[in-house]
Formats: sequence, C-alpha cells, structure tokens
Amino acid sequence: MSLSSLLRQSNAEALSLSQQTAQYLRKHASTGISTIHIPFLSYPESTDVWLMYEKLLLSCLRTGDDKAAFNCLEKLIDRFGATNERVMGLRGLYQEAVAKDDAALERVLQEYDEVLAEDTVNTPVAKRRIALLRSLSRTTEAIDALTELLESSPTDIEAWTELSDLYLSQNLFPQAVFCLEEVLLVAPNAWNIHAQLGEVLYISAMNGNESSEGRSLAEAARRFCRSVELCDDYLRGYYGLKLTSDRMLSTNPNDTRSTGQVATVDNGELPVLPTAVVRRLNEQATFKLAEITRTSNSSCNVADINAAKDLLNRSTQRKQR
Amino acid sequence: MAVPMVQSIHRDPALFYWILFPISIVMILTGVLRHYATVLLQTTPKKQELPALREQRSLLRGINLRSNSSAIPSTAFASRRQYLVSAYKDGTFLKDPENRGKPAGNPMTDPAAMEGMMGMMKGNMAMMIPQTLIMGWINAFFAGFVIMKLPFPLTIRFKSMLQSGVATRDLDVRWVSSLSWYFLNLFGLQSVFIFILGNDNAANQMAQQMSQMNPGAGAGMFQPGQDADKMFQSEAENLEVVEHEYILKGVEDRLLA
Repeated sequence: MSLSSLLRQSNAEALSLSQQTAQYLRKHASTGISTIHIPFLSYPESTDVWLMYEKLLLSCLRTGDDKAAFNCLEKLIDRFGATNERVMGLRGLYQEAVAKDDAALERVLQEYDEVLAEDTVNTPVAKRRIALLRSLSRTTEAIDALTELLESSPTDIEAWTELSDLYLSQNLFPQAVFCLEEVLLVAPNAWNIHAQLGEVLYISAMNGNESSEGRSLAEAARRFCRSVELCDDYLRGYYGLKLTSDRMLSTNPNDTRSTGQVATVDNGELPVLPTAVVRRLNEQATFKLAEITRTSNSSCNVADINAAKDLLNRSTQRKQR
Repeated sequence: MAVPMVQSIHRDPALFYWILFPISIVMILTGVLRHYATVLLQTTPKKQELPALREQRSLLRGINLRSNSSAIPSTAFASRRQYLVSAYKDGTFLKDPENRGKPAGNPMTDPAAMEGMMGMMKGNMAMMIPQTLIMGWINAFFAGFVIMKLPFPLTIRFKSMLQSGVATRDLDVRWVSSLSWYFLNLFGLQSVFIFILGNDNAANQMAQQMSQMNPGAGAGMFQPGQDADKMFQSEAENLEVVEHEYILKGVEDRLLA
C-alpha cells in the first residue's frame, strides 16, 4: 500500500484503500496492545503502522465506510490516548462525518470550542473548527478564526492556503494573492502554488477594472511560466499559460507600443509582456498541452486532461472561424 | 632472521565458557534493560505556550522572508519588510514584552530549562551507573585473565586495546584480556541492539554521545538563556539590508530559450 499524500489520491485509490481496511485491521490486530514490545516475539513498532491507520481512517470516511473508520479511530485512541492533539482532530473529523444534520454539527462545533477554551495551542482541533465553520457556510467567522491562528503561527502553509481559498470565495483577490505569496515565502519552489497564484491573478484580472488588467495578466502569465519552469509538463501550468496568453492576444492583438514601454517602466514592477513573446508562449503552451493530452497516462487526473482537451478544441474552433 | 616463535599458553577451556560468555551476555542484558529504563524515565515533552510559539514562528517568518524573498514581487516584499522590521524593533512578537532589555536570567532558575537538564541527567545516570557496576564486577572477578586468542595476526598498536589489565610486555597481541573484551563489547554491540530492539533504541551509549554532539536539532531554535529580543533585532538588521531580486524577471525568456 502506498503512503502517498492523501490530497493527491484519486477517488479510485481511496476506494481501493478503504476496501483493504478490514484485511489490514485483522493483520495488525496484535499491534498496539502492549506498550512495551518483547524482542523477537513481536514486530518492533513503527510509525508507518500508525500513519497507515490515519490514512485508512481518512479513506474510509471519504468512501462512506464509517464502521471501518471507527475501528481505525479506536486503534489510534487505544495507542495514543484520547487527549492526543492529532487524535482529537481525527476524532472530530469522524464525528463531523457521521453527523446527521446541522444541529449535530453545531454540537461538534461546541465541543471544539470547549476543547480550545482549555488548550489554546491545540492546532489540529483549531483547524477542524475552521473547516467546520466553513462547511456550515459561516465564512467570515472561519476567516476570523484563521487570521487568529496565523497571527500566532505565521509559518503554517496549510492555513495560509486555506485562507487564500476563503478570500477567493469572497472575491477578495488582493488578500488571496497576499496569502499565496506568504505560502511561497515558506516553500519558494512549490510549482502548484505558483500556478495557483497565477490562477488567482488571472481571475482577478478578469473581474478587475480595465487599467490593471494588462499588468495582472502579465504577472499571471509569468507565474505560470515559473510553475512550468519548475515542473516540466505541468498540465495546470500550461493550461493557465494558454488561457492567459489567449486572453492577452485577444485584448490587444497588435500592440505596438509595448516595445517602447519596456524601457520606461522602472519602479520595480515588471514590464508588460511584448506581444511577440506572448504569441510564442501561447504557441508553446498549445504544443505542450497537445503533447500532454496525447501521451497522458493514468497517473494524471482525468478531469484535468479533459479540460485541457476542451480548451484546445475551443481554441482551434476559434481559429477556424 | 629468526622464525617467530609461536606463543602458546595453556588455558583452562572453562575460562572461555565462564568469562567470555558471561561478560557478553551481561553486556547485552544491561543494554536491553537500559533501553527500557530510559523509556520509562522519559518525561513527555512539555507543550509550548502560545506566546512562545508565536515568538519562534514570527522570527522564522522573518528568516523565510529574507531567504526566499525572490518568490514575491518587490512591492509585496517591501511592505512585508517594513511591517516585520518595525514589529521586530518594537518587540511586538516577544513572549514577555516587559522583560525586554533585561539581561537573560540564569538558566538554572528557569523551570523549563531545569526540566530539560533533569532529563539529560537521568539519561546520563542510566548510562553511568550500570557501566560503573559492570566494570567493577569485571575488575573484581576477572582481572588479569587472558581469555582468548584471535585467529589472525595484529600489529603491536593493538596491544593497548586488546590487553588492558594484563601488564606483560612480551605477550603476543593476539591474546585478549577480559577487561578488553568488556570494552570491545561496550563499543561494538550497537548492531546487536539494533537487531534486538529496533532502530531507535537507547541501549548503547555511543548513540547517545553522538546525539549530545549536536544538540538543538529537536530542541527548537531558542536555547535557554538566549535573548529573544536580541535575535529579533539582528534579524531586523538582516532584513533591512536584503537586496531584492524577483525570480519572475525574465522567466518567459528562460522558458522560451
């Protein structure tokens, strides 16, 4: 069984993982009963086993196998105790999953509040509380709680990404950009974050006023460039690059003043991309997208591939017309 | 040249069974026992309070901003720098702002530091007491025994290693004394312990000495007795002199090249 990140797991993987749960639980029935193991008689305890339980728990919840999830949770509670921060977070997740209606969710929320009143540093529970607020669609409260969390731990990438997502859902683009920049400061080579920042910039350019659109688009295009520079054949990066450059070409197809503008801009901002460069970027993105969709294997997300194919079809239709 | 004379010592074969094996077995057993004693003596690491956490992570944020500044545009960098530098200079992130400027207290009076030291003491004690006892036992019972002969020749340099406790100049280096066997066991049983107890055992003292060589790997950034305010001030100075270079500059040319 692979221990790859859960976020990258496809639905099929999650399902197959959760179907193995019963088997896994039977196989490892003996581990975790004694806290001190006897040499030669039992396997030495390894952290992998417990990580596996955690992953199984999450996969089971995702596929709706609540009973197996409960078994995994019980194992974890047996081993680490109910007061362990991480276990508390997982337990909360389970309770949220089995909650029938909003009233039950409110009760879970109250429990979180009680836990946090006693122990203010309990990050897993604080994060669960924020996620729960969000799923109860109390977005402003979630944003407040997240900013409070980030005030005390400003290097938490997960929280910054979530906050950026929340801001984006409220159409607060500069704030979302700020949060993603904060993520990049911790992980400067995260190509997916570069692409995500490019997406946010692109969306803000679409929804913003005319004057700043060109600048935002150029910035977005550069972000996508950076993401594919860091990761060859990164589908999302090329998709965004194609989308952005299409837009730039359609807004000013024959922009002649751009060459003169390059020299004048000198206040630290990067110049707007010259049209020739945009055209070449567009060509390369189209080429690469076609190549990726042609040679795609099962490891890629099917939805992403289809979206890319769709984009390519649309652009060829437009050209034919 | 004279043919090297082969030394032969008539030993009671019982020496082998009653000294060599007991020493080895006792060494292994003490290792296992020590491992469990250390596990039982361990105190759970104390949780950090929120202000302390904030202090550490805020400093880390400044360091991140300094080292990864190229990832963000220069305007974003400038505003962040301005905010962090002024906050650092005002001591906004300090754990206890009223203690600012006072000299750092004696680490002995800090209960948190005291606890850490107690933990270290316990570990060292669990190491030292059994070693002293066993060495005393071997010295009392088996001092001066020559217990085995190595099947391969060695140079004279090994004499001090293999024949401690036997003060004879002319004895061949291949003979091993009981005290030396103890030392060989003491330093050489690490792989046996890994086999029995798993990788992260506390049985061998060598591993512990290694970890004492580079402390602070798990202890967090702040050593007890270090002044957080001074660290903030120096970080503010570092931030002020950073020259900003934007990584997206010319990225399109790099990609098209």
